[in-house]
Amino acid sequence: MENVKILICDDSILARKQLKDILVEHGYNDFMEASNGQEAIDLYKEHKPELVFVDIVMPIKDGVQAIHEIREFNPEANIIVVSSVGTQTQLRNAIMEGARDFVQKPYTNSGIADILKARFGGR
Amino acid sequence: MHTQFFGNFLLNKGVISPEQLVDALKVQANTHKKLGTLAIHSGFMSASEVEDVYITQTHFDKLFGELAVNLGYLTEGQVDNLLTTQLPDYMLLGQILVDKNILTHVELENLITEYKSVYEIYDLELIEEQQEMVNKLLSDFYLPEDLPHSEHILSYLTLLFNNLVRFIGEDFTTLNVMNLTEVPTNFCISQEVEGSFSFLSALDMEQETAITFASRYVNDEFQEFDDYVRASIEDFLNLHNGLYTVNMSNDFSMELQLLPPIPHENMLLETGFSFYLLPIMYSFGTINFLLSIKKMEE
Repeated sequence: MENVKILICDDSILARKQLKDILVEHGYNDFMEASNGQEAIDLYKEHKPELVFVDIVMPIKDGVQAIHEIREFNPEANIIVVSSVGTQTQLRNAIMEGARDFVQKPYTNSGIADILKARFGGR
Repeated sequence: MHTQFFGNFLLNKGVISPEQLVDALKVQANTHKKLGTLAIHSGFMSASEVEDVYITQTHFDKLFGELAVNLGYLTEGQVDNLLTTQLPDYMLLGQILVDKNILTHVELENLITEYKSVYEIYDLELIEEQQEMVNKLLSDFYLPEDLPHSEHILSYLTLLFNNLVRFIGEDFTTLNVMNLTEVPTNFCISQEVEGSFSFLSALDMEQETAITFASRYVNDEFQEFDDYVRASIEDFLNLHNGLYTVNMSNDFSMELQLLPPIPHENMLLETGFSFYLLPIMYSFGTINFLLSIKKMEE
């Protein structure tokens, strides 16, 4: 598990911390953080993380644009869209761009557990 | 009610697979609403009555509305009414799943009833005193007479009070509304919402007040004014505006987009439009809520 690199992309430091805390509980500890879509794209290209959480509404480049560019770089990228309440249209666009799954804020331990199990099983 | 939660709810219930949900979301944009779905949504017909009309349609080449009137399920006035009714996104998602034979109308109806009860907390009614406070407050809002849909502002403020009670606490009272062209800020978070109703919303307060506001919101004990406090206030505003856009989508089929919240400190806030400044006095300090309406279409 320690080898699984996870990119957390959210403009809110609070939301990044909440997600990280849950992931640590599940035994993950290799994180990269981005606070806007452009940083996420740059970090993805440099480190090729195995799992990416992308918030939809962000400054500079939003989540939908970030997903588009990451998928252009790697069509197999494992991207989970993080949607806040009220972002239905953007969520649909993100899924069209090739996001694999979505998770609704506020984060719950069981919601994240389901995603990790589906992606990595017992790894 | 939360549109995108419905998809999540169906996944959690195990009624549909993630692939089926993604397929349904992809076709949603190009799907036309059906009269039967509208009739269930409006409460004019039960799901089994709608099924009955569809079965009858396999024997007679007639329109849904015509048959439903013949069978005594709808009046002609109700058909006219339905033709102008808007359908919330979650009902459209339900219709697609029925079309794909993943659900029957009756199953959909039951799931929607259950879904509504699960998320009932989000449709909290205001208690009488709060409603009085909202009404009093609104009489202080000097809305221009030619402003269409002032009820959208009413529902925005009602939701704001609900969210303050729900997430921060009920120990507040509101002071008189002020009308300003620009607002000097302390610590301020603003967020724009765009669409046929566009506005800028903002929360402004002293740093000390922000520490307590944030602590209450995330159930933590923040000791100093730091990035987590800033992010908590942003999160509250984002959640409030997000819930509002969902309500507007469900109730008026009005699709609004949220822009990222922006922090400002000790600067002059202006939009080119006037501001309503609403002081909300809590036991731990006063929060100024700012609303500047940029566009409201008929």
